[in-house]
Amino acid sequence: MQQLLNGIFIGSIYALFAIGFTLVFGILDRLNLAHPAVFATSAFVGIELVERGGLSLWAALPVVFVFGAVLGLVIERLAFRPLKNRPDAHFAGLISSIALAGMLIALLQWRYGPDTRRFPAGAFPETRYEVAGAQVTLAQLVILAVSLTLMVGLTYMVTRTRLGRGMRAVAENPTAARVLGVDVDRITAVTFAISSALGAVAGVLFAINVNTAQLGMGYAIELKGLAVIIVGGMGSLPGALIGGLVLGLAEVFAVQYIGSSWRDVIAFGLLFLILLVRPQGLLGARKVREV
Amino acid sequence: MLAQYATPLTFIALGAVFAYSFYAVLIAGQLSLGQAGFASLAAFTAASLAPSGDDVGDVPALLTAVVIGMAVGATAAVVLGLPTMHLRGVFLAIATLGFAEAVRVVLLNLEWTGGAQGLAVPRVLTVGMAWTALAVVAYWFWRMGPSRYGRALEAIREDELAARSMGIDVGRHRLAAFVTSGAVAGLYGVLFAYYVRLIAPSDFDFAAAVDGLVTAVLGGSTMFLGPVLGSGFQTMVPEIQRAVGVEAGWIRPFLAGLLLLVVILFLPGGLTSLIPRRTRVPAAGDGDPDGDAAPGLAARRHPAPGETVVSLAGLSKEYGGVHAVRGVDLEVRGGEVVGLIGPNGAGKTTLVNMVSGLVPPSSGTATVLGTAVGRTPVHRVAAAGVSRTFQHSKLFNRLSALENVLVGAHLVSRPTFLRRLLWLPSSRRDERAALEHATRCLHRVGLGHLAGTRASALSYGDQRRLEIARALAAEPSLLVLDEPAAGMNHVEAGQLSELIRSLARDGLTILFIEHNVGMVLETCTRVVVLDFGQVIASGTPAQIAADPAVIEAYLGTADPDDGEPARGSVADGTLADPTGGGGDGGATGAVTNARPSVAGTLDPPDTTPRNAT
Repeated sequence: MQQLLNGIFIGSIYALFAIGFTLVFGILDRLNLAHPAVFATSAFVGIELVERGGLSLWAALPVVFVFGAVLGLVIERLAFRPLKNRPDAHFAGLISSIALAGMLIALLQWRYGPDTRRFPAGAFPETRYEVAGAQVTLAQLVILAVSLTLMVGLTYMVTRTRLGRGMRAVAENPTAARVLGVDVDRITAVTFAISSALGAVAGVLFAINVNTAQLGMGYAIELKGLAVIIVGGMGSLPGALIGGLVLGLAEVFAVQYIGSSWRDVIAFGLLFLILLVRPQGLLGARKVREV
Repeated sequence: MLAQYATPLTFIALGAVFAYSFYAVLIAGQLSLGQAGFASLAAFTAASLAPSGDDVGDVPALLTAVVIGMAVGATAAVVLGLPTMHLRGVFLAIATLGFAEAVRVVLLNLEWTGGAQGLAVPRVLTVGMAWTALAVVAYWFWRMGPSRYGRALEAIREDELAARSMGIDVGRHRLAAFVTSGAVAGLYGVLFAYYVRLIAPSDFDFAAAVDGLVTAVLGGSTMFLGPVLGSGFQTMVPEIQRAVGVEAGWIRPFLAGLLLLVVILFLPGGLTSLIPRRTRVPAAGDGDPDGDAAPGLAARRHPAPGETVVSLAGLSKEYGGVHAVRGVDLEVRGGEVVGLIGPNGAGKTTLVNMVSGLVPPSSGTATVLGTAVGRTPVHRVAAAGVSRTFQHSKLFNRLSALENVLVGAHLVSRPTFLRRLLWLPSSRRDERAALEHATRCLHRVGLGHLAGTRASALSYGDQRRLEIARALAAEPSLLVLDEPAAGMNHVEAGQLSELIRSLARDGLTILFIEHNVGMVLETCTRVVVLDFGQVIASGTPAQIAADPAVIEAYLGTADPDDGEPARGSVADGTLADPTGGGGDGGATGAVTNARPSVAGTLDPPDTTPRNAT
């Protein structure tokens, strides 16, 4: 039971991270490899806000959300917009976002040094609950609640609002959307902002969950995020949620029953299997090739 | 002097070899991140299996290891490639990345690899050996570029579907590129192992794969020198920073990232775009009046006049309940010029897509040149002698006009890559023959003067003509044209009509869709009218022009063409055609292409056709 809950908590963070990843991919058909850097940067910024700014853990979250959104706008502006008309925009976008990610991490190193950082003592509430014989901290519950709220909010926005309709139109056919009066550049920028804001919150939640932030934390989750969006289906929001939870649970149980050193083989074996059997992922729709 | 720089120079060579393993697939438009896994498998296997330098000498030991490593890399690529080659773009990247990560974790947990401690390997590699290996790999890709195989890979990168229609077996070519990549990655793994003394699975992790990809893209993935330049840049930036006294720490990675960003943003072709790219100009033999097919090209026997070329029986296609084509029976015989007309949405394009094997029929049978299409892969249909153009141009945009046509000649030219590696004179002859053949095809459509121009830089009408030249280069028996005259003015359309008739005189059978009814009636020996997916009329141009059902379909009370801007320029005065032949895309096309200068400089088409007969 304890393992199940741990799996759900970590899985919800994976899902939140992956949902930002998949949002940009699903709508704009671009893989933003600066996303993990946003994740790491926000974790450090979150700790700084609590430590220096004196904010409570919960007040820091909305600030980080805004910070992530701004970072997303910067990424779009610097690494993606200048490339949008290039025939190799796909590869070039990968590389430019890698470059930007490297710069962000270097800035982090400048500001915070290479060491692991933690939240100040006493930042966590002591409240604990017992659920069906398992220990759950208030922080963990908040992680779950925040992740789920953001994901539900995002799904609502994409499916029900005018902005979301614009996003789906751009995803379907950017040229047609532009002709019909959709401001494609604005939708693109907003998509990046939302995506990065979610990645940023995921970063802080991750830091809260394990109470550490490291420069390399983005790398580890980058691979997992990619696995999640493939398993769930590229561009599928509910798919990313399910994929994240599946991965979180698989990891926790793999550690318990097989051993921690084999954990990642499980994740990537699963990923590989899904790609072979169902390349569009669990919930993805197969794109029809046009002639 | 050299010794002082030996370490960075060796790393430049190693980095470049690794980058070539990415270049090998990027050139075919594939994004793979599995190379680190191949390199890792190769390095550990070779280091364990190769004989010790003490027994056989250092160099033989290294050479044995290289052979083992490349074999392991290539084998791993086959094993991974067979199930994943149907994946595209990012999906392939992530699948191969998953493979590489799985390899890393497995190696980490095995006994014989030393786990996280790693495996000790003697240092054998010198800077000279590293650069020799790099030279061999670079030579391979240099000779590959302008060979038939290299062009086929580029064509797949630019437009996979068009490449298929030109008879290129895309699956095999993609797998070949992938296996090459595996072998080169294996080479890198072994060289790396024999240089750094101690290898651990973490030397081949995700970051290493990303480094390799970055190096390849940074250098430029369209020219064989790219990986070398990219690796030089990636290795030297930190070295220079150290030399000028930039402190270690955050500034170095920051500047490296910034430079990478600047290069990718401002040099679209990577660092190789700083090198002027030589456009191959056609050889002098372009005006060659030689009547027969050039030596070195496969000749094709066209079906005799009257022989059945296309035979459709009850052919239907539905898309989710929409009947695009319903029960079409059609026979096309050798030497016929069949025009397919009908209102928008009548199913014309779907029909020719089924004939050329791109779309499998829902029911009914289609036999084209003795091939049962629908169950046959597109490249086999093309090999049987079907060549086509597309309604929306599907050119290989970043290749020159001439290179586009050379790809079209894929089926009739001979493979030259392996002979080019050995500089055999016969490969030169074959390349020359292909070049002359392609040049003739370009001249035949009136584009001889634009041979070196990038396809994407051509005007709309010229792009349509280039597609025809590309299709002709395959020496097809059946030529399928989907709206070839869209966007042409009436002078150009007249020339096109003359070209089509001259091709028919050469023994080709032609099936073409066109909205310009005037031109169709003037060009064809037979016209087939399609409406709502069914054949409503079929007959000689004169019969069709008088057929009340056709006039009804075009002018009927609920005319689907009503809203379209009528172009009318061609039909006017040529026939009492009531429709004026409006066409989709016609309005924009007419504007972009109404350049009198182009029309004026074209050769009269009837002077050129003799060249290719």
